[in-house]
Amino acid sequence: MRNLCAIWRRELAACFLSPIAYVTMVFFLIASGSTFLVGVIKNAGSNVFLTNLLFASVVMWLTVLISIVSMRLFTEEVRSGTIEMLMTAPVTETEVVLGKYAGAVTFVLVIVAPAIANIFALAALNPSIGKIDEGAVVGGCIITFLVIAFCMSMGLLVSLMTKNQIAAAITCLCLIWIMLFLGNIVSAFPFMPAKLVAYLSVLAHVDEFSRGSIDSRPVILYLSGSAFMLFTAVRVLESKRWK
Amino acid sequence: MIKVENLTRRFGRTLAIDNLSFEVKQGEIVGFLGPNGAGKTTTMRILSCFLPATGGKVTIGGFDVFADSLEVRRRIGYLPENVPLYTDMRVKEYLNYRAVLKGLSGKKKKQRVKEMLETCGLEEVSGSVIGRLSKGYKQRLGLADSLVHEPELLILDEPTIGLDPNQIRHIRNLIKSLAHHHTVLLSSHILPEVEMICERVLIINRGRIVASDTPGNLVGLMRGAPRTIAEINGPVEKVREGLLKIRGIISVIHESDGDWGRYLCDCEKDADVRPEIFAMASSCKWIMRELVLEKRNLEDVFVEVTTEEKEL
Repeated sequence: MRNLCAIWRRELAACFLSPIAYVTMVFFLIASGSTFLVGVIKNAGSNVFLTNLLFASVVMWLTVLISIVSMRLFTEEVRSGTIEMLMTAPVTETEVVLGKYAGAVTFVLVIVAPAIANIFALAALNPSIGKIDEGAVVGGCIITFLVIAFCMSMGLLVSLMTKNQIAAAITCLCLIWIMLFLGNIVSAFPFMPAKLVAYLSVLAHVDEFSRGSIDSRPVILYLSGSAFMLFTAVRVLESKRWK
Repeated sequence: MIKVENLTRRFGRTLAIDNLSFEVKQGEIVGFLGPNGAGKTTTMRILSCFLPATGGKVTIGGFDVFADSLEVRRRIGYLPENVPLYTDMRVKEYLNYRAVLKGLSGKKKKQRVKEMLETCGLEEVSGSVIGRLSKGYKQRLGLADSLVHEPELLILDEPTIGLDPNQIRHIRNLIKSLAHHHTVLLSSHILPEVEMICERVLIINRGRIVASDTPGNLVGLMRGAPRTIAEINGPVEKVREGLLKIRGIISVIHESDGDWGRYLCDCEKDADVRPEIFAMASSCKWIMRELVLEKRNLEDVFVEVTTEEKEL
C-alpha cells in the first residue's frame, strides 16, 4: 500500500511536471468550454438539458485528453530506461499498475473539474437560467468518472503493449472512439437485439446520467471493464519477467 | 550469496549467455569483466530479476530469482548501466521516493537518505533537478539509490563510468569500505581499478566464463615468458653472447639506442635473471642504465583470454 501511494504520488507529479500536460490541459478546457458554449447558443430557446450539453462536450474531448495522458504511462519509462530501476525495486506489478493508473486518473479529474464548473459560471452570468439541477450534475459527474476510469485503464494497457508514445496515443484514441460509438455500430446490424444496443451505448449512458437518472447497470459495466483492463495490464507486466 | 548454475539466455537466435555457472560468497567483491557484448549486462539483469533466463538456475541468498523475485529484490541494490533516472525529479525527492519503494519509512528513511547524500557527495545538489546534473552526479545518485536500503548484495554495472579521477577514487574507496558487510558484483572496463578493488575476477567472453581467480593468480597463470629489459652500453655481440649464457634466458632481442643497446630478454617461467645480468655487466665493466622485469597485469590476461579461444 505504501508503495502504491509512493508510485501514485510520483505519477501525479510526473503528469504536472511534463509540458504536454499543460498544453493538453489548456487545450481541453478551451475545447470543451467552447463546445459547450456553441451547444448552448445553438439550442437557445429549445427545451434541452443544460447538463446534457455540458457532459456531452466534456466526454467528447475527454477522449483526446485521456489518450494523451495515458500514452506516456509505460512507454516513457521504457524509452528512458527507468523501467529497469522501477521493476528491480521490491514492488509488485499490481502496485506499479494501480499506482500509475491512480496517478493518471487523479490528474484527469483535476483537469476535468473546472470544465464541469463551467455550468455554474454560466448560471452566474445569466440570471435567466435560474436553478441548476444538482441531481443531474451529480449524475453527470458519476458517468464522467466512470468513462475516465474505463478509458484510462484501456489507455494504460495500450501504453504497456506499445513501444512508441504516438502509436499508443493513436491506438488508444481509436479504441475509445470505437467504444463511444459501440452502440451505434451494434445497432447497424439488424439482428442485434435493441437491448444490447442500449447496454453498450456510451453516449446514451451519458445522456441518461446527465439528466439525473442513475442506472446501476452501466456503473457495473464500466467498473468491471476497468477492473478487467487493469488485471490484464498486471498480467502483461508480469509476463515481461518470464518472457 | 550468488549461485548461478548453467545459466542460458537467448535473444531470438543469438545466444547471449551460454551455460554460465559461477558462485559468489558472502562479503566478496567480485569483478565481472568481458569485452562489449560478452553478456555482462544480460547476466546482471537476470541477477536483478529484470530479465528472465532461458535456462538454468540462479539463486541469491537462497532465493530463486524467478520464483522468489520479490525477496531477491529486497536484498539487492542494482545500478544499471547508463543510470536511468527520472530527470524531472529533484535529487532528494528522488532518493526519498526510492527509499519508500525499498521499504524504508519514518526516521530510518530520513537518516539513510541523509547518510547517502553525504557519502556520495550529493549534499550540494540535493535540491537540483536531476535532468540538469552532470554525468558524475547522476552516477553518484544512482549509486546512492542502490545503497539506500543497505542491501546484502550490490550489483553495479560499470559504476565509475563518466566520473573524473577524484570521483573514481572516492567511489572506489566507498565500494572497498562496503566489503565486509555487503557482497559486491561489479562490471567495469577499467582494469587497473578492478585489480585494485576486487578480490576475485570473473572474465566472460561470448557468454562463457573464460577465467575466474584472484587478479594476482590470473596474472601468474599467464602463458608466455616474462620479459626482462636491460639497457647496457657495450659491444653488442659480446653483450648478447653474455646474456644468452645466463641460465633462464631463452632469447635476446637487441634494439639500438645511440651508444646504448636495449636488450629484451625472454626468460623461462618464474625465472628472475636480474641479479645475473647485473653481475655480468659489472664484471665486464659495461655501464648499465636500466634493468626491469616487465610485470604482466590484468590487462594482458584480459586481452589473452578474450581474443583467443583458450581457457585459463
